[in-house]
Amino acid sequence: MLTRRGFVQTVGIGAAGALTSSFIGARGRENSLWSAFEPTLQALEPGVICLASNENPLGPGQKVLDAVKAAFGPNGAQPGRYSGNAGALIEEIAKKFKVKTENVVLGCGSTQILRSATHLLTAKDRPLVGTIPTYEECAGYATMMGYPVRPVALDAEFKMDLGKMADAAKGAGLVFFCNPNNPTATYVGAKATRDFIARVNRESPETTILVDEAYFDYVTNPDHDTHIPIAVENPRVIVARTFSKAYGMAGLRMGYAVGHAETIKKMAEWDGGAGTSSLNVLALHAGIAAISQDPQYLVKERERNTTAREFTMKWFRDHGMKPTDSQANFLFVNIGRPAKDFRDALRAKGILVARDFPPFEKTHCRLSIGTMDEMKKAVAVFGEVLGKKAAAA
Amino acid sequence: MPVSRRGFLRIVGTERTGPVSGAFLAARGLEAHFAEAQRSNGRQRPLLPPGVQEIRISSNENPLGPGKGALDAILGKFPEAGRYPFNSTPSEGALAEALAAKHKVKTDSIVLGAGSQEILKSAVRAFTSMEHGLVTAAPTFENCTGQVKRLKYPLTEIKVDSACRLDVEPMIAASKGAGLVFFNNPNNPTATVHGAKTVTDMVERIRKMSPDTVILIDEAYHDYVTDPSYQTAIPLAMETPNVFVARTFSKAYGMAGMRIGYGIGRAETMKKLAALKMPYNVSVLGVAAAIASLNDPKHIEEERARNTEVRAFTVKALQEMGAKPTDSQANFLFVDIHRPAKDFREICAKSGVMVGRDFPPFEKTHARISIGTMEEMQKAVEVFRTALRATSSTANEDKR
Repeated sequence: MLTRRGFVQTVGIGAAGALTSSFIGARGRENSLWSAFEPTLQALEPGVICLASNENPLGPGQKVLDAVKAAFGPNGAQPGRYSGNAGALIEEIAKKFKVKTENVVLGCGSTQILRSATHLLTAKDRPLVGTIPTYEECAGYATMMGYPVRPVALDAEFKMDLGKMADAAKGAGLVFFCNPNNPTATYVGAKATRDFIARVNRESPETTILVDEAYFDYVTNPDHDTHIPIAVENPRVIVARTFSKAYGMAGLRMGYAVGHAETIKKMAEWDGGAGTSSLNVLALHAGIAAISQDPQYLVKERERNTTAREFTMKWFRDHGMKPTDSQANFLFVNIGRPAKDFRDALRAKGILVARDFPPFEKTHCRLSIGTMDEMKKAVAVFGEVLGKKAAAA
Repeated sequence: MPVSRRGFLRIVGTERTGPVSGAFLAARGLEAHFAEAQRSNGRQRPLLPPGVQEIRISSNENPLGPGKGALDAILGKFPEAGRYPFNSTPSEGALAEALAAKHKVKTDSIVLGAGSQEILKSAVRAFTSMEHGLVTAAPTFENCTGQVKRLKYPLTEIKVDSACRLDVEPMIAASKGAGLVFFNNPNNPTATVHGAKTVTDMVERIRKMSPDTVILIDEAYHDYVTDPSYQTAIPLAMETPNVFVARTFSKAYGMAGMRIGYGIGRAETMKKLAALKMPYNVSVLGVAAAIASLNDPKHIEEERARNTEVRAFTVKALQEMGAKPTDSQANFLFVDIHRPAKDFREICAKSGVMVGRDFPPFEKTHARISIGTMEEMQKAVEVFRTALRATSSTANEDKR
């Protein structure tokens, strides 16, 4: 018999069984240039430091968890009931960015947003433009649909090469503009981005630019601004956001797009039911609590990440290895050896870092920023692993 | 003060609906409900007199929600809310493995969906085209119908037979050259089921006549069926190319809010659906809850028994009022009330009883009523009694 007290007590206890599974079958991707990069599934074992997936190591925070717990009970967020809370979350998002609710559509993670945009805006004769490497969702989807993808190389600093991207954008359906760029962690300033949008609008008026601001809250470069105000005015710009990063809700699956009302309407209609039939009730409540909380939450999370990021970047520099100028919660580091060797050695010591990112898999590794405590432990292990390798070489 | 399991459910169940809901959901159905939830910012609420408790029997949900194991799993996984479902313990892969073990198949026969709606949507996207359309029923669950309409691909809807069962012969005939056949068994909203032999024969005949046509058998209400002639089509799907089954955790498993469903069939059939699957489409909490549910098959047995008892009670009460429910094999009834569903629905709603929307072409005669708890249905049948009396007198006045 479960008592109320007993029930409440189970909350907050990790209860994590040591269950490791490597599973590929239901992952659902054909092998292709763009989809070969998907992470290996890796259920975390207790004690493992996961620096593989650009998550917030602290999770959503107690306020959000408390809100979800409260919603679980008398006031409504019933796991057994279809939820009607999408509108309430949209309203909170609209309020935060001072846009109208018609400018916002929700998705099951920003994944659904990226897929809807790609589906609607690319075609056999309307290619997708994306950098190599970048987050693969759009290119993977376009490839699966048999739509062409125009890959654009990054510049020498691993930043998006805006001149080359604008050239590639001519006649394209969609430009995927991931800023900061995953996996290279680099950032293109707000002014340069505005100029880029203006140039593409001028030279290729039918092309839409999807600005993915997944890592927006981690940027510390002073030339930093969201492109949401442009998106709501400009039917050729969409901004994608997620609750998976600074808000620490990767496991709950909630993302959204902000854009011109007409564009948003098309995206909502494409998935039917305004695209919200994929959204779980707890994520909706968590999203509402997260986005309406004191904005200091984001400031503190950015500061926490920046401190641990600078510590880790300095360690690499001090050891003769060059990270890119990271503006995100992960680093892209030239370790001078194959990422796989580094990854496998770390895995054996309980640290998980990211998969390969071609064409840089022979030299570069992506690793996420954990807590300061985790990073202190991690760099000690990096030293052991890289030191041995260096000695062997 | 400690409360029992029963007491906990009562606490959880006190106010079941979110800000949007009952009334709208009742009037328009799930897909429109989700759309409206976005458009109207969650503002529409049923206008109930003070003190009237809403009884939501409009959406074919399990009124008790998930079992204890699943509830504990959801709350226990909060600390992992920040991890992607491929990093959590258990991971989404563990759910696919648990489902594969349950159905004695390999994991490449399973595709997870954010609700079975994602599976249905993906099926239309994967298997229909301008040349090869959808064959479905009317009325039936409309997710595939809506998707094919948005794509502007050919659509053939076959009206159910006189007993409100899927009309198998014309569906077979229409399948020639179709991309996808959607066969909802039991059928929502008519609550009827076809036995295993009928389904097997249908599949065989369609396969012979039109081997490239994919057949999707949606068994969302599988766990509520009591008709002994019925069997799941999963073994059939596992031995037949181009046939697969959709299942959901939204019904007997009581997890409609968690959005987890799956497709199951031969690997080569599922491969095309897997390609369209959204990565990380199920939440960490949902995965944990679903696995906990699968480890508690007794809970499903109990839920079936509970539903069967309340269903029999409600059927009998309606029959005594002169209404005619179909042979329900699900957690809802499709009832000939001899008057427009809208009139009935609106009168019931005034007493807080929310029943299903219109289901054309039966909106002038039939209502869909989900099965709530016994306590809810005891209250609801009294409201039905009043509503049926009231609308009949209105109808008589109209005649005069």
